[in-house]
Amino acid sequence: MTDAPTTDRWIRYLNLLQLALAGIIILAPTVWMVLSSLKPSFEVTAYPPTLVFTPTLENYVQLMKTTPFASYAVNSLIVTIGSTSLGLLFGIPAAFAVSWTRVSWPAILTLAARMAPGTLFLLPWYVMFRQVGMIGSYTALILSHAVITLPIVIWVLLPSFDGIPRSVYEAAQVDGCSVTRILWRIALPLVGSGIAVAAILAFVFSWNYFLFALVLSNGDSKTLIAAAFNFIGEGSTQWGALMAAATLIALPPLILAALVQRWLVSGLTLGAVKG
Amino acid sequence: MASISIRNLVKRYGNFAVIPDLNLEIADHEFVVFVGPSGCGKSTLLRIIAGLEPITAGELYIGDKRVNGIPAAQRDIAMVFQDYALYPHMRVYENMSFALELRGTPKAEIDARVKRAAALLHIEPYLDRKPKELSGGQRQRVAMGRAIVRNPKAFLFDEPLSNLDAKLRGQVRAEIKALSQELKTTMVFVTHDQIEAMTMADRIVVLQSGAVQQYDTPEAVYERPANQFVAGFIGSPAMNFFPVEWRGEAVVFSQDGARVPLGLESCGPLRQAGKGVLGIRPEHFAVAADPADGMAVMIKLVEPLGSDTLIHFDLAGASAIARVDPSLRPKVGDRVSLRPQPGKTHLFDSTDGRVLQ
Repeated sequence: MTDAPTTDRWIRYLNLLQLALAGIIILAPTVWMVLSSLKPSFEVTAYPPTLVFTPTLENYVQLMKTTPFASYAVNSLIVTIGSTSLGLLFGIPAAFAVSWTRVSWPAILTLAARMAPGTLFLLPWYVMFRQVGMIGSYTALILSHAVITLPIVIWVLLPSFDGIPRSVYEAAQVDGCSVTRILWRIALPLVGSGIAVAAILAFVFSWNYFLFALVLSNGDSKTLIAAAFNFIGEGSTQWGALMAAATLIALPPLILAALVQRWLVSGLTLGAVKG
Repeated sequence: MASISIRNLVKRYGNFAVIPDLNLEIADHEFVVFVGPSGCGKSTLLRIIAGLEPITAGELYIGDKRVNGIPAAQRDIAMVFQDYALYPHMRVYENMSFALELRGTPKAEIDARVKRAAALLHIEPYLDRKPKELSGGQRQRVAMGRAIVRNPKAFLFDEPLSNLDAKLRGQVRAEIKALSQELKTTMVFVTHDQIEAMTMADRIVVLQSGAVQQYDTPEAVYERPANQFVAGFIGSPAMNFFPVEWRGEAVVFSQDGARVPLGLESCGPLRQAGKGVLGIRPEHFAVAADPADGMAVMIKLVEPLGSDTLIHFDLAGASAIARVDPSLRPKVGDRVSLRPQPGKTHLFDSTDGRVLQ
């Protein structure tokens, strides 16, 4: 018969094993990417892979010399900040309206749009944007990326708005607030952490989205993630530079993801409402 | 300050009529308490007055103004919610000043009114705190303060004491009553607690299934209940009920035919109706000096309350309670002889519960 402490120990071991496996699956490619970006170019594709090497920044130097990396980064920032702002601008009132009216179909519709494959939107958008001469414009990219950011904002904020006790809204009504003022003065300050989480997630998803930028951008408006794709050539792929680019591209989302974790833990503190 | 007039009000949710047809007149400066069991429609009625629930049919007037369809924000009423509904992100001062700020009241006046209300409710030391830093009782006061600063046409209270402990509840109850006398504003208070209703109200509205069962002063509702429901709901412990009949020129219990020691002056209505339900409040039993004059009962349970003692017993097949003097020192198993106090009994129709007169 197994006693309780032994069972607990086994559960702890299994938990550790599970964590280790998850860590390997998630971290191995990232570690590989970062290490490869720091290897001399001839060692990047060496087989068997070298684990001991002299780190070098030559791939980063080459990346900056041979590509307009900073321009791509600015493009990415414009598109991501633009689409995140657009998502917040429309997503916050939309989430509040869904929570306020308890009519959920608009939210489900946006979720369905998010679940649909990007190509579903891409083809009609390509045709539409081409007809109005907007291919390659920031506007086209920002609008297309709003398909990514808007549902995220709505679905992250919906539980936050739902979490505010109805009586708080009603107290504001009795105090003389219009619905718009309730959103502005009561609901928004209470879902601050939710808005931060929504904004960061929208930013990360938009930053990482590849397909729309690949088709709807041009040389001047190409985003980082689409530009990185160019390193994969037909004849020779610059693996070192590609890994350096991938590392740099991954940095902002990784930093923001760490921030999201903090916000998520802090959560909403509405315990003040009830005695 | 204003009267509230409800005329032929109907409130339905789908096919279900929470309030089938209700008429009510609340006078200016009056303190009216809506009381009734869960689901009787009392909170719905309050929310309708507040403008938080639309009316299916009928008319609602606050003062001379018909307010059907007028949003809560424009009704100029203040409401204290059961969960207080303070704005968690605002300090106490801001919670109280918010409504005034929305109305464009000058800053100096806002400050004066907030401080006056805070002084009245003894919450001055907490003005800079957030609601989460306050105790339940303090939050309750802030909720009242938020209502008071408005100087509204009417105050609405939705079970505001139910989250407080018993001691605090009694204290706040007295404070609200004192406040109503000081502010002289129309107040509507919803509760399921009949003690709150009795102690605070100028008039009580007893509701059941969305219908007014009785609308009268606390004394009248207690002494002259309009029907068996009101009689059973108001009073604690509740009134005892016994099916009785008029037989052989005397009132007898239907269950065992035993004679009820009632004076003839109390029997008139039963003489005509033939049968009915006799209601006796626990405090309206007297211990008979001569055992032959009373009804002999055996004590099943004793609850000493200090000021008086409750004894539980079976009478004519029903469980009953009597409130007796503690000097009697009753014990379980003792036999006592009880009789109803003359003129303190009630007779109700055995089919629809209305009072027999």
